[in-house]
Amino acid sequence: MVKEKIQFEVNGKQVFLEVDPDELLIDVLRDHLDLKGAKAGCRAGECGACSVILNDKVVTSCLIPAIKADGGRITTVEGLEKDGQLHPLQKIFVEKGAIQCGFCTPGMLLSAKNLLDQNPAPTIQQIKTAVSGVLCRCTGYQKIVGAIYSASKAISGKEV
Amino acid sequence: MRLESSLVWPKRLHWEKYFRPRTIPEALKILEEFQGKARLLAGGTDLIPQIRNRETEPKVLVDITRISGLGEIKLEEGVIKIGALVTHAQVAESPLIRENALALSEGASQLGSPQIRNLGTVAGNVVSGQPGADTTVPLLALDANVKVISKEKEQTIPLTDFFLDTGKTRVDSTREIVTEVFFPALAKNESSVSLRLARRKSLALPILNVSVVVSADAKQKKFNHVKIALGPVAPTPLRAREAEGILTSSPITDGVIKEAARKAAQEANPRTSLLRGSGEYRKEMVKNLVERAIHQALERLEARHG
Repeated sequence: MVKEKIQFEVNGKQVFLEVDPDELLIDVLRDHLDLKGAKAGCRAGECGACSVILNDKVVTSCLIPAIKADGGRITTVEGLEKDGQLHPLQKIFVEKGAIQCGFCTPGMLLSAKNLLDQNPAPTIQQIKTAVSGVLCRCTGYQKIVGAIYSASKAISGKEV
Repeated sequence: MRLESSLVWPKRLHWEKYFRPRTIPEALKILEEFQGKARLLAGGTDLIPQIRNRETEPKVLVDITRISGLGEIKLEEGVIKIGALVTHAQVAESPLIRENALALSEGASQLGSPQIRNLGTVAGNVVSGQPGADTTVPLLALDANVKVISKEKEQTIPLTDFFLDTGKTRVDSTREIVTEVFFPALAKNESSVSLRLARRKSLALPILNVSVVVSADAKQKKFNHVKIALGPVAPTPLRAREAEGILTSSPITDGVIKEAARKAAQEANPRTSLLRGSGEYRKEMVKNLVERAIHQALERLEARHG
């Protein structure tokens, strides 16, 4: 199979890659770039564990051929931390115990970041809708929703 | 069989070539060249899982997301036009759609999940031909049309004449491309509602989708006409024509709305399904939801005029 050259910005860095035409974004992130934050859960767009932010929209990277993302701007959970400091959302997730097994956490954090970037002061219902595309099988939704609400109060108005 | 394929859940999917045409003629040329072995990709929210399930095994994917001019929602001379690349999220948030076809915005905002709504397209929802599709059912009530282009011709197919069977439409996606879905913007005396019944609010298949468009004469307390679309209650999305007939030019009364809702339930033929509930239950729910949707549409009309 003929490889294709693609390029995207991942967590602020330009990345140049050669990929097979049938590689998916989730596998390119995990296997080529060693970004293991996005998880390949269901590989059918249903669990949200592979969520990333692509061009300012949260999407399931298991449904996206890598070439489709060529030229795009991607944020994975690894991109939330800045200068060794956790993102405010990450800090509050830790403080509030909004993590159990952790498998859904990257998708939850990116869904939350995407929401707060667009709407710094969301209602509880808007938070629930924003994370509705990520399944938590530890059933820890209450603490997750609560943590996002606290984060929105703490960082409201500021860029997150 | 389905069971067998779902036991084998390979990490890697396989296709040989991936094209990114910049124009529609270029895309049509690629489809022609690969003679049925190529599939169009826009959102990919249906196609990628279908490839994974081995329901389809294309050799070539034709990514149409780089074709310009297909990503807009427009209102031109009373007609709402939705380009082939417009996503569910775009429709759900569009002030133009909320003002002129609220039922479609409601349908789009309840589809899948935020991730799926950010990827999936309205045109793709229509082409997939699923009988309960969340944006297709409201589009059917809105009397939408589909613009289809092939190497030979460009044609417009009314949605009422578009669906052949579950997953089958009049579009042959190995040689034709849907470029636009369009419908008349609702008039001042019209309103619309979509209701969805599902086991959870997100990432769950609909047990039922009901969309209505109500045209009424508020002063005379009379319906002009009502359009009722239902899914999934048959192999294709369904218009409840007999129920609609009962309401045409009828005075607005609770009794006549109940009668129409009963008729809609008779016209529906939902299967008993492990995922969606028994046929009997769903028939009963058709009745309830149609009645509720018509009342809500009337309330919306009143709120606008009052």
